[in-house]
Parts: sequence; C-alpha cells; structure tokens
Amino acid sequence: MASMMQPQIILLKEGTDTSQGKAQLLSNINAVTAVGDVLRTTLGPRGMDKLIHDDKGSVTISNDGATIMKLLDIVHPAAKILVDIAKSQDSEVGDGTTTVVLLAAEFLKEAKPFVEDGVHSQNLIRSYRTASTLAIEKVKELAVSIEGKSVEEKKGMLAKCAATTLSSKLIGGEKEFFATMVVDAVMAIGDDDRLNLIGIKKVPGGNMRDSFLVDGVAFKKTFSYAGFEQQPKKFLNPKILLLNIELELKSEKENAEIRLSDPSQYQSIVDAEWNIIYDKLDKCVESGAKVVLSRLAIGDLATQYFADRDIFCAGRVAEEDLNRVAAAAGGTVQTSVNNIIPEVLGTCEIFEEKQVGGERFNIFSGCPSGRTATIVLRGGADQFIEEAERSLHDAIMIVRRAVKNSTVVPGGGAIDMEVSKYLRQHSRTIAGKSQLFINSYAKALEVIPRQLCDNAGFDATDVLNKLRQKHAMQSGEGASYGVDINTGGIADSYANFVWEPAVVKINAINAATEAACLILSVDETVKNPKSESAQGDAAAGAMGRGRGGGRGRGMRRR
Amino acid sequence: MALAFDEFGRPFIILREQDQKTRLRGIDAQKANIAAGKAVARILRSSLGPKGMDKMLQGPDGDVTITNDGATILEQMDVDNQIAKLMVELSRSQDYEIGDGTTGVVVMAGALLEQAERQLDRGIHPIRIAEGYEMASRVAVEHLERISQKFEFDVNNYEPLVQTCMTTLSSKIVNRCKRSLAEIAVKAVLAVADLERRDVNLDLIKVEGKVGGNLEDTELIYGILVDKDMSHPQMPKQIEDAHIAILTCPFEPPKPKTKHKVDIDTVEKFETLRKQEQQYFDEMVQKCKDVGATLVICQWGFDDEANHLLMHRNLPAVRWVGGVELELIAIATGGRIVPRFQELTPEKLGKAGMVREKSFGTTKERMLYIEHCANSKAVTIFIRGGNKMMIEETKRSIHDALCVARNLIRNKSIVFGGGAAEIACSLAVDAAADKYPGVEQYAIRAFAEALDSVPMALAENSGLQPIETLSAVKSQQLKENIPFYGIDCNDVGTNDMREQNVFETLIGKQQQILLATQVVKMILKIDDVISNSEY
Repeated sequence: MASMMQPQIILLKEGTDTSQGKAQLLSNINAVTAVGDVLRTTLGPRGMDKLIHDDKGSVTISNDGATIMKLLDIVHPAAKILVDIAKSQDSEVGDGTTTVVLLAAEFLKEAKPFVEDGVHSQNLIRSYRTASTLAIEKVKELAVSIEGKSVEEKKGMLAKCAATTLSSKLIGGEKEFFATMVVDAVMAIGDDDRLNLIGIKKVPGGNMRDSFLVDGVAFKKTFSYAGFEQQPKKFLNPKILLLNIELELKSEKENAEIRLSDPSQYQSIVDAEWNIIYDKLDKCVESGAKVVLSRLAIGDLATQYFADRDIFCAGRVAEEDLNRVAAAAGGTVQTSVNNIIPEVLGTCEIFEEKQVGGERFNIFSGCPSGRTATIVLRGGADQFIEEAERSLHDAIMIVRRAVKNSTVVPGGGAIDMEVSKYLRQHSRTIAGKSQLFINSYAKALEVIPRQLCDNAGFDATDVLNKLRQKHAMQSGEGASYGVDINTGGIADSYANFVWEPAVVKINAINAATEAACLILSVDETVKNPKSESAQGDAAAGAMGRGRGGGRGRGMRRR
Repeated sequence: MALAFDEFGRPFIILREQDQKTRLRGIDAQKANIAAGKAVARILRSSLGPKGMDKMLQGPDGDVTITNDGATILEQMDVDNQIAKLMVELSRSQDYEIGDGTTGVVVMAGALLEQAERQLDRGIHPIRIAEGYEMASRVAVEHLERISQKFEFDVNNYEPLVQTCMTTLSSKIVNRCKRSLAEIAVKAVLAVADLERRDVNLDLIKVEGKVGGNLEDTELIYGILVDKDMSHPQMPKQIEDAHIAILTCPFEPPKPKTKHKVDIDTVEKFETLRKQEQQYFDEMVQKCKDVGATLVICQWGFDDEANHLLMHRNLPAVRWVGGVELELIAIATGGRIVPRFQELTPEKLGKAGMVREKSFGTTKERMLYIEHCANSKAVTIFIRGGNKMMIEETKRSIHDALCVARNLIRNKSIVFGGGAAEIACSLAVDAAADKYPGVEQYAIRAFAEALDSVPMALAENSGLQPIETLSAVKSQQLKENIPFYGIDCNDVGTNDMREQNVFETLIGKQQQILLATQVVKMILKIDDVISNSEY
C-alpha cells in the first residue's frame, strides 16, 4: 500500500492558513467595508465621536479618523491597509483621515459586484488608476489659488480653512475663535518646517474660551525647592540662560572615592565640593542672566542662591520646552557654565509666572525671533482637552498645508460631486469595460456628500439629487454647491466659506485609490501560524475563515 | 463583537481579541451614557444648598470622609464608568478654576442630560441638541453679565466680601459659625492679596487643623503656625523680637557628597577627628550667635550634642521643619533660606515680633506660633474642632470661602444666589428661544428647563414644594422684572435675595453654565462605545 501512495507535498509549515481566489478577494472587500462602516458616522460637522477603551483601561473619545483607526487595533491583514492610509494621510496632510478611509471602502464596495461577476481585478485596477489621475487633475483645475493676496486677506482665508476642519470636532462651537488662534500660531512660526515649535499645553479647568495663545513659550511650573517663592516672578527684557547641567551639590564623579589619612584635611574636601557648585552658580550669575532654565535638576542650594540674587530659575524643564525657549528667545542650550558669552543668552520682552487654572505657568512672551507659539488649551475634562488638542493639530496641519500650496477647493462634498460629474461625463466617451468602472468610481466619490447628509439626519437621496442637478448645469455655476448642514438643503460651499486645501482632497483620492487597488490585486493570503503556542480563540477563528474562503487547489495541509 | 460576516455566516476577525470586546452604538450608546451621567448627578443633588445633606464616604483603607463638597464627594467615590468620570472631572475643573459651586455644576449637567434624553426621544439629532445648548449657554452667560452687580469694597470695608463668603459657607456643616469663618477667610485673603494686580496667591494662606477645642476657637494668625516644638524641652517657650536663622543645613559635621573614607590608624588621629567634630558644633552655634540670631529654624535634624550645645548657649531651635513651611516662614519673616553656615549674615535673618510655643488642652502637643512678622504676606488659618472629620470638612469649606473671596477680588461682579440667577437665566433663555429658527429652538427651551433644576433642587432639599415654589418665584421675577427673587431656603420670610444677602460670584456662575454645557456636548457627541467586555 505504502508504495502506491503519492508522496504528499508539504510546502508550508503546519498550521499555515492560506486562502485564495475570488472568494478571498470578496472577503477582503467585506472586511474593509466593515471597518469603513465603523468610521462612517464620524464624518462631517454632524459626525459623532467614538469612545474607545484600550487594553490598559484608558479611554479615548475621538472624532479623528486616524486616532480611531489606531485605537481599534485591527488585525485583519486587508483592513490593516486602511489603518495605514489613515496614518499616512495624517502625517502627510493632517486632516481628511476619515475621508480617505471612507473613500477606499467605497471604491471597493463599488468594485465588489464587478468582481462577483467575474471581472478581472487588474482591469478594475487600471480603470481606477485612470479615474484617479483624471480626478486629481480635475481637483487641481477647480482649485482656487489664494496666492498674491495681502497678509490680512490671506489670514482670513486660512482661518476659513481651519474653521472647516474644526467644524466637525468637539470644539466646533468655537471654531472661529480657535481658527484665528491656529492661524496666528502658524503665521508666527513662519516658513520653518518645524512643527514642534508650536506647543500645545493642556490645563484642565476653565472653559475652552479661556484658551489663549502665547507668542512665545509657556510651560508648567516645574518642581521647585524651598526658596523658589522668594525669587522674583516677573522680568522685563531679561537675559535667559539655558543649561543642560545639574546645579546641585553632589558627588562630581560617580565612582570616585576619597581616602583621607589626615582628619584635618576633611574640611578642605568639603570646601572643595562646595566651591565647585558655588563656582558654577557664580558663573551663571556673572553671565548677567536673570532667568536660568535647566533640563536637569536645579537643587535647593542653587534655588536659594539665585533667590538671594533676584534670579529666577527652573530645573527639570522638559527638553522640548527648553528647545522651544531656545528657538524663541534666541539662546543656545549650554552644557557647561564656563565661558558663557552674551551671544548664547536669549531674551524676551516679558517673562512672567502666571496662574492658569490650578497651575502656575512660566510664560515667555514677545520673543525676538518670534518663531514659536504656544497654545494653552483649557477645558472641562481631560478627555475634552485631549480631543481638542487632536483637533487643533488637524487644524494646524491644514493651515500649514494651505500656506504652502495655497489653493483651496469648496468643501461640504461640493468638490466630490463635481469630480464625480466630470468622471461620469468622461466615462461616456470611453468604449469598453472601462466605462462601467470609471462610472462606478464616480459613484463612489458621492459617498462624501451622502454620508454628510446621513450623519446629519437628512434625506441623502433627496439632497444628492439636488446636488446632481446643480452640478449638471451647463454654465458651471453650480460647481461649488455642497450640502448645507444647517438647513438640510444645498448651498454654495465656496460662498459660505466651507473651504479645504486642495492638497487634502488630492492626497485623499490618491491614497484611497492606491489602497483600493492594492486590496483588489491580492488574490491569496498566506497566514503563518502564530509563532507561539498560544493559539487563542483568535487563531481558531482565523482558521475557520480560512476554510470558508475557498481553497482551489485542494492541497492538504494537516 | 463582530463587525462583519462572510458568506458562510462566520465572523471576520478584524480587531485584536475581537470576541472580548463589546460595542454599543447609536441611540443605545447615547442612552447608556446619559443614564450614567444622570446617576452621578442624582447622588449630588441632595447635597445642594443650605439645607443640603452630607455624604459619608469610606475609603479603601477604612478612612472616613464626611463632606458636602461636590468635588470631594466625586473624587472619593472612585467611579469606574467613563462617562461618570467625565462628570467627576467636570466638578474638578470647577474646583480648580473657581473653587466653589462644584455641586451645582454637576446638578446642572445632570439636568441638561435629562432634558437631552427627552429631546432624543423626540428624534432630534444629538448634535443639534448640543448646538442648541451652546447657543442657549451663550444667551445665559450674557444675561448673567447683565443682571450682575458690582460692589465696591476695600481693605477697610470688606462687609460685602464676608456676605458672599457666608453664602458659600451656609451650605456646609460649619454654618453654625459662618459669620466668624467668613470673616477669617476674607481677612486672610485681603492680607495676602495684591489688590493692584488683582491677584491672590492662595499658597500664602496656610490652613492648619488640630483636633480639640471648638469650632469657635478657629482663629486667623498673622504669621505662621508650625506643628513643631523647640528641640530641647528646656529652651525658652517665648521669644520676643526674634531674629530667626532659617537653615537648610543640619547641625552635623559636614559630609562630602563624594564617597569618602577616613583612615584612622592612630589614637591621635582619632582624637583630632573627635575634636574637630566638636569644634564644628561649636563653630556652627557660634556663627548663629555671631550674626545675632535668637532662634534657629532648621530643615534637618541636629545631633544630640549640637542640641545640648544650643541649649547651653541659650539659642532656641526648632528642627525638622518641612520645606514648604520653611519657605513660608522665610517669606513671612522676610528672611532668606541659608544653605550653609558660612553664608549666614545678619541681613539674611528673618524677623518676627513674637514667637511662642503654645500647648493645647491636656495633651502634650504643642505648636509654634510665629507672629508679628516683618512681612505679613503669609497668614495661617488655624482650625479647631471636635473630631478629625469635622476639621477636614472645615478645611474644605474654608478653601471654598477663600476661593470665593479671591474670585471677588479678581472680578467684583456678583449675582444673586438662592437660585435667583438660574431662574433669571431660564426666563431669558426661554424668551430667546423663539428667535432661533430650526430644531435648535427645542434644545434651547430644554436648556431653560434644565436651568430650573437648580432652584428646584434647592427647594426640594429645603423641604419646600419644589414646583409650587419655583413657579411662584418665577412669576414674581417676571412680573416685577427684578432678578433678585430666589428660593427662600432658610424660611426667613422673604425671597428677595438682596435682603437675605445671598450672593454668588458672577464668574463662578458663568463657569458653571459653560462647563456643564461643554461636558454635556461631549457626552452627546459619542455614538459608539467600544470596550473590552470586562469594563
């Protein structure tokens, strides 16, 4: 018998799970759609938030697509791609993370019937790519440049972009307030590409209108020793010394040991140690600095020494804060107190310690370089401030983007409708299968206005039809019509100042198409068994899916 | 929790440990969240107002807290639910910013949530409710500004401040002597206030408590109180016109920080070492004497030998004084903290008119009073009371009163308490509602109704007929167009809050409304709760 049997070919390790073919493609599409559905409700000004517990029990309440995707902890290989595009959109543009995921899911959803009907996925991919190129060209064409305007006008326009982003967030009620703040902050740091120059500090308590912008640096009072309260708390035009050394009485060398054979020398050793620290302190004082900041500890001795000489000091300042002070005040962080030349000292107009809510803050304002800004956020709860910070981050990114590529497109789904119309028209000119595919791509783009309506509780079909009618007008005057979130009708987004930077849309379309094409091009998944023996329920579930996913070649692996 | 199924009805594994997660979404999530928020508010509701009840909370270690302060109750309750935690943070931020009205803000938020639930049942989109609330809160805050009154006070005429502090204290357990406590609080704040900059650093007011005596014995000390006694029992108990050396170095032979070893191989060397040590003590004490110090306050301990020497040289000393207290002493006496004996100079000494040690009752416990200081910018409120819980609660009440006084110094505007401000706002918001087209109008009306819940709770807690009383007051306000009528909680016979002298700070009230609206918006905006099932 044994000789009769075909030797079994074992290619893969035991427990490996593969699935392939059309069924696999469809199951991937289903998974992606499911993830898209989670995010669906967060889109737009009437979008809702998600409350997510993570493994450690901490909780995030967010409306930001990228944040939610990250916290969902997705393991499905195809769905993971969505997480990646959301992340890439976040790091590239900073906003539109929900849009990109929704678009990708929608593209795939539209592709599903074709796949079921047996269309080769490569055909789909090719058409989708063409469509995306056309769409991006159209977006570019429709974009309106804000270049060449005066600074004031430009500021106003940027604020509009920021307000559009913020309107979907928790702080939407105060969007104008924050939009101006964000624009001021971004303008303050200039063209420098260092985002970390904008600091966001969170102070629980107060209401969000109490948030304020410091044209300089602000950070929380650091841990202080006795004597700190006796230091002056306000200076005008002080010199600022930035250090990265400890000003503490301590052993200079860790592993050194002093051996004394003559007890009378004892005092000299003690004195020597004291002299070292006094020497350092003297040098700080000599430099003429009135504010001494150090990344490392400033001990009680130094605190009292400075207090005696009317100098303000703060030890254990966080590195990023110190760097910001350096950038703002124009100083350099010193690692030694020797040879402090005046050039390394920074300065600012006003230094003050101020009470903000329950905390005291060190505030440096009116810095000469003006290259930094700090937003101090106030809010009723920690979660609230966290979310506000994320929202402001989005707004900051948007404004920065808009400053660089200064073109904007009308939001509120207007641009999506217009591109969709254009693609539909274009598809009519194509003979062949591609016509269908591009048409479905165009249909998928309509998901944005549709979802905006759904989230606001409007009749999506009704609004969409109105929009289609407007956009179909030959004159082109309806091109900037989008969903009017307040009345449930349609309105000219451009005239209502619902603006987005063009780059957001371009990047979103690009990334979403890429992701969709990537998923469409996969026809086999090979899943290696978990490296550890801990094959929990998850693994068992995965096996189940693998079996369901149809394996064409009937290769036995057991 | 399964997000999707394949064609055979098996779930996809999309999330890590998917089956251990639960998901609540849509209207269910909102309802669950609102219920949690309301539950928290319900607990606090009975604590509101002068006739509000206290809560007894037992901590995990068996320690008991009895309090009426909203922020403290919520803090100690250790809630687990996330939405409930938001409510806790809500009252905490009111505490940070204003220091008073921590119960009111939660009751307000609870009422807003309750109203929101009703609107949700009507099918109004949660975000539109939240937006309506926001519009309404703006109307209410503006109205408060309008009905607020400014009153003048200065260092000599602080009666209005006392009245306002009394309103705060009247809801606390200490209301028996609210008058004296309010005076203490106001005097303390005025003593440390910088009236020009309108800034009060509450850190300069130290609140000390000691079990024993009566609440009436609570006093304000223009100086510092240290829970320490002289290092040697035979040292003088009272020093007049004291020159104080404030040291952060121990009366011990100095030690190098670097690892060191003294090799002693002969008897002579040992003798020298011993002599040297003695000499150190001698020098230290002499140094203090030389600069003219009549009292030494030290952050660290002394060697017994040093202690003896100090006694001998007639130099009273206090040891193991904490860093914060040391700093306060330095500020109060105008002295400098000296880290080293070599640095002692006469200028660095602090000066106090009187330093005395006082013992209490029959116990051996003593405390050190440092009074008549050179710089009276630091004061101490010394609370006496029958038991520890009482003292703790008094501390919290005093804190509230201090915050109120501080807020008044920052902003002189007041509104009338006893629910009068809320009723006035409710009327204003209700009237404004009709101007807004759209669904928000309903939310604005709901907001007005929610505002009524504070006076309602006040009336309820005072044993009055809530609906009857409220409607009577409301019509009175509307008829006479005067926003002073509130709930007569103490049954004085008039509900004119001007006559009753029930004031609250304007910023406190505004903050309450804004914060409550903010948190309610956050809760309403959540439509999806994804959690591990054990939560």
